[in-house]
Amino acid sequence: MAHAGALHDEDVMLPPPGREPGAGVYNEKLGMWVFLGSEVMFFTALIGTYIILRVAHPTAWKAPGVVLAVPITAINTFLLICSSVTMVKAFASVQDGNLSGLRKWLIATVLIGSTFVGVQVYEYRHLIEKGFVPSEGLYGSTFYTMTGFHGFHVTIGVICLIFVTWRAFQGRYSAKDYRGVEVIGLYWHFVDLVWIILFTIVYLI
Amino acid sequence: MATTIGHVDEVTLGGAEVHADTRSFVRKYVFSTDHKIIGIQFLIMSLIFLLLGGVLAMVIRWQLGFPKQPMPLGGVLPETMAPGGVVLPEFYNSLVTMHGTFMVFFAIMPLLVGVFGNYLIPLKIGAPDMAFPRINMASFWIAVPAGFLMLAGFFVEGGHAAAGWTSYAPLSERSDLSGVSMGQILWCISLIVLGLSSILGSFNYITTIINMRAPGMWWFRLPLSIWSLFVTAILVLLAMPILSGAIIMLLFDQTIGTHFFGPAQGGQPLLWQHLFWFFGHPEVYILILPAMGMASDIIANGARKPVFGYTSMVLAILGIGVLGWGVWGHHMFMSGMNPTLGTSFMISTMLIAVPSAIKVFNWLGTMWMGNIRFHVPMLHAIAFVSMFTIGGLSGIFMAATPVDIYIHDTYFIVAHLHYVLFGGSLFAIFAAVTFWYPKMFGRMMSPFWGRVHFFLTFIFYNLVFFPMHNLGLHGHMRRIYDPTQYDFLKPVQPINELISISAFLLFATQLIFATNFIVSWFKGAKAPENPWEDNGLEWTVPSPPPHGNFVSVPHVYRAPYEYSSPFVTEDFLPQNRELPEGVPSAAPHS
Amino acid sequence: MEDVKHAHPNYIAVFIALAVLTGLELFVAFLPWSQMTRILILIGLALWKALMVALYYMHLRFEPQRLRWLAAAPLPLAVILVFIVTREFRW
Repeated sequence: MAHAGALHDEDVMLPPPGREPGAGVYNEKLGMWVFLGSEVMFFTALIGTYIILRVAHPTAWKAPGVVLAVPITAINTFLLICSSVTMVKAFASVQDGNLSGLRKWLIATVLIGSTFVGVQVYEYRHLIEKGFVPSEGLYGSTFYTMTGFHGFHVTIGVICLIFVTWRAFQGRYSAKDYRGVEVIGLYWHFVDLVWIILFTIVYLI
Repeated sequence: MATTIGHVDEVTLGGAEVHADTRSFVRKYVFSTDHKIIGIQFLIMSLIFLLLGGVLAMVIRWQLGFPKQPMPLGGVLPETMAPGGVVLPEFYNSLVTMHGTFMVFFAIMPLLVGVFGNYLIPLKIGAPDMAFPRINMASFWIAVPAGFLMLAGFFVEGGHAAAGWTSYAPLSERSDLSGVSMGQILWCISLIVLGLSSILGSFNYITTIINMRAPGMWWFRLPLSIWSLFVTAILVLLAMPILSGAIIMLLFDQTIGTHFFGPAQGGQPLLWQHLFWFFGHPEVYILILPAMGMASDIIANGARKPVFGYTSMVLAILGIGVLGWGVWGHHMFMSGMNPTLGTSFMISTMLIAVPSAIKVFNWLGTMWMGNIRFHVPMLHAIAFVSMFTIGGLSGIFMAATPVDIYIHDTYFIVAHLHYVLFGGSLFAIFAAVTFWYPKMFGRMMSPFWGRVHFFLTFIFYNLVFFPMHNLGLHGHMRRIYDPTQYDFLKPVQPINELISISAFLLFATQLIFATNFIVSWFKGAKAPENPWEDNGLEWTVPSPPPHGNFVSVPHVYRAPYEYSSPFVTEDFLPQNRELPEGVPSAAPHS
Repeated sequence: MEDVKHAHPNYIAVFIALAVLTGLELFVAFLPWSQMTRILILIGLALWKALMVALYYMHLRFEPQRLRWLAAAPLPLAVILVFIVTREFRW
């Protein structure tokens, strides 16, 4: 991700030079963390609603595994965690100047991330065929909204990752400037983090 | 190597800032990444919605003052809204809903945050632009379709959203009850889109203020307008997503049959209220904090004195930003919520009056013994302080739950909200537009017509909104189509007439402001660099400033309000003016 | 580039920990214990996993203190909202 310009020898991985000390990190990283704050609140609205409605009306839910497929989703969870590993390996590669490693690990992340989305879509179709739809009481309403918006965020993440991967192939990142990789990495890990919470409270409780 | 986009060297951070600008008209003025242009784009869009919101108010006031009478020019409205020029009850519900929606989301919020946040932040902190100029551009161009979506609702079958700007469920999700379906859906989608625009803007502002302050611009040397915009941006960042989430759930209830808020399958109408107001209360602080901050800047300028108690002003802004998250239930005292929660919200609401009161006293302290210049912005700023105080005082009444039982959903509340939003925010906006107009457009607005507009507005505004306190205490409820249907309201109907006539005159007066604004853009007196003799960094660059703002990075030596300093002959001392060696950079004071 | 002066954290070790914790969650979810106990343990495990992702993969462990406060700032709000509103439905 390009930024508002750089001078010749300026280290773009540092906070903007010649400014009062701020957060101690470069703008794009700070911006992504601040943006993730808003994402925390967005998922709070959805997940919070689920918690609140479940506390208010517990009988609307079934025991774990009765409706939702825990085994395949557990594997999917594991996959998403793997994609976080490949993402962080991509990041570590570019930090060390290993550009072929960067490309390789980014592709792996894209592939695993896409697989995650694919499995989720497959699961949705399966559930809908079984008759478990969004209008199926509070259970359906909360399940589809939470996992649906998570899936939407993963999809956006995959699209951005494809863009970053393409730029990596164009040679846009190096050990001196890997901001785009770090920033998409933060977003991707966040999406994984949200899923870690979601998987537990939606599928296992 | 400087990265280039199109034909322009992007502005740099460390060294030379201003560059020649060889972009095309479209890149320079339409799809601009320059925060100043984006600020002016938001200004034009918001002023249009302010006008539209005002027009809706006129129709409301016609119906309230002269119920069921054919409205002048009412013939232009279709049969579905006002057959024979007589407003239908269903249309009336849309009117009150859309007046609130337009004013809150498309007028006041973008005026304060989109216009002045964008325009002032980089200039006043000494930066060449925002941290993410292209995201800034996206923020505006995403707001535009949101605006069109919101306007579209008037043209769909069933009419526009009619469940109030607060869109309470289950009314807002039951088209069989409200008669509205597509309109309500468009309302939801529009606000989701606008929410995205706001969130993009907010993280840009926050990053810029944290990371891009010029050397010497310490946190406690920031002008209060910037402090308030900073805290406001944090509120936007954290509150808007809650609204987005709630509206998504409402939209799903309306369209795909989910059950979040509909009681039939276990949904909870009160959940909507909690989610909405958890956003809604920080939202009202979003609507007032930038106004307070800009008023501080302008009052210090007009009084030629430092802001009294700058540190406590900053702490008050922070206090409001923090406490504002804990009071949302005071909008729900009559909802049937858990009474224990009601008590806690009453206490927290009474507490939050304190920081606002501190600010009022500090504004008074700033003016006390000042060498006051009653320029047009100062007039509006003083009106802001006094009118906001009245609004704040009426707020204390409703903070006390037992009192609110009586006045909730009456015109007492309408009076309160208009005193803080019009008397507060809008007067501050008039002040700010007049004050920064020369910097934005390189011209001065006419001071004569500014004064005429101010005095007439002030008089008519009070004639419109003060009597609403009395109406409310008499029992006149909100959002009611025909007050004369109730015998107990018939005696106060003359007050409604008075309010309506004053409202028409108030609206007509705004045409003076509009004319002044438009004509001065072309024919106003050319503005010097610093017409108000102000200390802010924006007044050290040409009017309007060039792309990149500063020729070289400014250095800041002092606090923002060093007026009437003993160390210089002028009665102002800009933040970046270097004084000779041995001379203190600022007078010793708290 | 101060943030790379330290050696890379052991990302694989974190991965193994995450995998093990996930397995543990699956195990606990189907144990015949009371629901409250299972919920508390599961949420604890999930939060532990989330914390590891945040500290190691998102590098918060190595970032300036200010950034860590910033990242944590929205969390109290989330807790307040959910806690207070559940009181609405459980008096």
